[in-house]
Amino acid sequence: MIEARDLGVSIGAKRILSTVHFACEPGHVTAIVGPNGSGKSTLIRAISGDLPYDGSITINGRELARLKPADAAMMRAVLPQAVTLSFPYTVREVVSLGLLGGYAGDGKEQDERLPERALAKVDLAGFAGRLYQELSGGEQQRVQLARVLCQVWTPVLEERPRYLLLDEPVSSLDIKHQLIVLRIAREFAERGGGVIAVLHDLNLTVAFAHRVIVMHRGQSLASGTPEEVMRDALLSEVFDCQLKVGAIPDGSTPFLLPQTAVA
Amino acid sequence: MNQPAQMILFRRMAEAPEGDRSARARFVLALLVLLLFAVSAMSAATGASDASAIGVLQSWLGGGAESTLSERDRLIINEIRLPRIALGMLVGAALAVSGALMQGLFRNPLADPGIIGVSAGAGLSAISVIVLGHTLLAPVILVLGIFALPLAAFIGGLATTLVLYRVATRRGQTSIATMLLAGIALAALAGAFSGVLIYLADDRQLRDLTFWQLGSLGGATWTKLMAAGPVIAVALAAAPFLSKGLNALALGEASARHLGVPVQRIKAVAIVAVAAATGASVAFTGGIGFVGIVVPHLLRLIIGPDHRYLLPASALLGASLLLLADAVSRTIVAPAELPIGIITAVFGAPFFLWVLLRRRGILDL
Repeated sequence: MIEARDLGVSIGAKRILSTVHFACEPGHVTAIVGPNGSGKSTLIRAISGDLPYDGSITINGRELARLKPADAAMMRAVLPQAVTLSFPYTVREVVSLGLLGGYAGDGKEQDERLPERALAKVDLAGFAGRLYQELSGGEQQRVQLARVLCQVWTPVLEERPRYLLLDEPVSSLDIKHQLIVLRIAREFAERGGGVIAVLHDLNLTVAFAHRVIVMHRGQSLASGTPEEVMRDALLSEVFDCQLKVGAIPDGSTPFLLPQTAVA
Repeated sequence: MNQPAQMILFRRMAEAPEGDRSARARFVLALLVLLLFAVSAMSAATGASDASAIGVLQSWLGGGAESTLSERDRLIINEIRLPRIALGMLVGAALAVSGALMQGLFRNPLADPGIIGVSAGAGLSAISVIVLGHTLLAPVILVLGIFALPLAAFIGGLATTLVLYRVATRRGQTSIATMLLAGIALAALAGAFSGVLIYLADDRQLRDLTFWQLGSLGGATWTKLMAAGPVIAVALAAAPFLSKGLNALALGEASARHLGVPVQRIKAVAIVAVAAATGASVAFTGGIGFVGIVVPHLLRLIIGPDHRYLLPASALLGASLLLLADAVSRTIVAPAELPIGIITAVFGAPFFLWVLLRRRGILDL
């Protein structure tokens, strides 16, 4: 489990997060939602170990601040928002960087064909020889996901769950690839790993997340199952506009229709 | 069946999975080793004295009495050309690897110790030792002997690199524009102080300094080599331990850390290695520019940017190119010689402009 208790983060003199409570259990996709500037990215960066924090963040019971980079790399992989490279690496070379970290492979030996398998997973089969710099933003984002998948190829290693931390993983993807990427996340969780994803699209959140945490002004305002947090009043207040939650006729899955731009 | 080595290499290259350039890189490394041998032999045979290549080889193979070399030729080769070749190789390798390391560290193909002022900082310290060595800094010379010059240059280079890194890097992201501009400012500052020292120098020192500033492998002796060699060798030996870390660093500092790379340690070792290699090179051969930018850039076009291959290939090609430039500098106005810095600048500066043109769109300067 990844757990944050009474988490606070300051950048310079500015308090970005305070008294955040957060948990991501193995087997779950936990989505972080909230308006711009609510602290979503800061939260996932703190959990990734990029920012000094107060309070506590633990991964499988170990305090993050005391983990060596190499040990943390065994337990979780992090997908950043966008990565630009200044040197002409091929797609295979970029994805292979995932094999550097922690323990890739299937738990017995490292598979040389892992980069290719990861690329096929993100719908980029045949892209291994292309230059990363020459790909579109969405393709680059999926190459990075393939790299991250290589790092934690098995969701459970030596009976301990591993985690994928995804910062806006579908922000520059078309709808087909949004679904592909979120299915990968879902499958990773179903095989015993944990996924934390910052998401903007509330309907995708409902469709793919097991748990949702709603950030508002640097605090965790609500958390629960999608059904629990998808309430008109809560969302309208957090996003500061009129929102109406409906239900897809043949089931109980909620969906969201924006009503007006201004509350 | 016994297949020639290069046939096997060719087949490996053809069979390499798409996007995997390691077989090609190993092939190029092998070619670069051959090139370095050829260039060294040629360099040993070239110069104002016409000692022949065959005679040189015989002399190398310890051909004692049956050698066709005269005593004078043997002296020229053993005491003048060989130390010069050795120094040229070391300095060429040091400059090229420094460039590649710094480019990896700053995540930018335009970072080069010569361009961003590191050489100027190292130069200032070196000039201080040369000019003030008999007066103000005499105790230092007394204690450190021949190591005073490379050590001073190392400290100057290190200080400049640290200031640059502090100024140009915020939250793990290095701004190329800030880095280049800060480099201009630091180089100007170092230049101003160097100017003061040159003003204080006597006539003999002045002449030495002028040639030193233009860059030259002339005056290489085994003694100088003993002072520069270990410093450069240690710096070069650090490179293989940095290669994987630098590859990861291409993704940015945060992503490298997420992959388990000890980013701070990699950065610290790389900065010290660059300062040592640049410092020792500048101390003994002066302002030889552009090797650090031309060599890694050319190699990235051929074998890609993977530092596991880029760093050793840079060392080999840097050594070969500097020996070639030195051969040109010794023959073009023979029996006099042109400072080698002029040759590298004449070829390197237009190359740098070409790189800029190619990258204009990406750089966003």
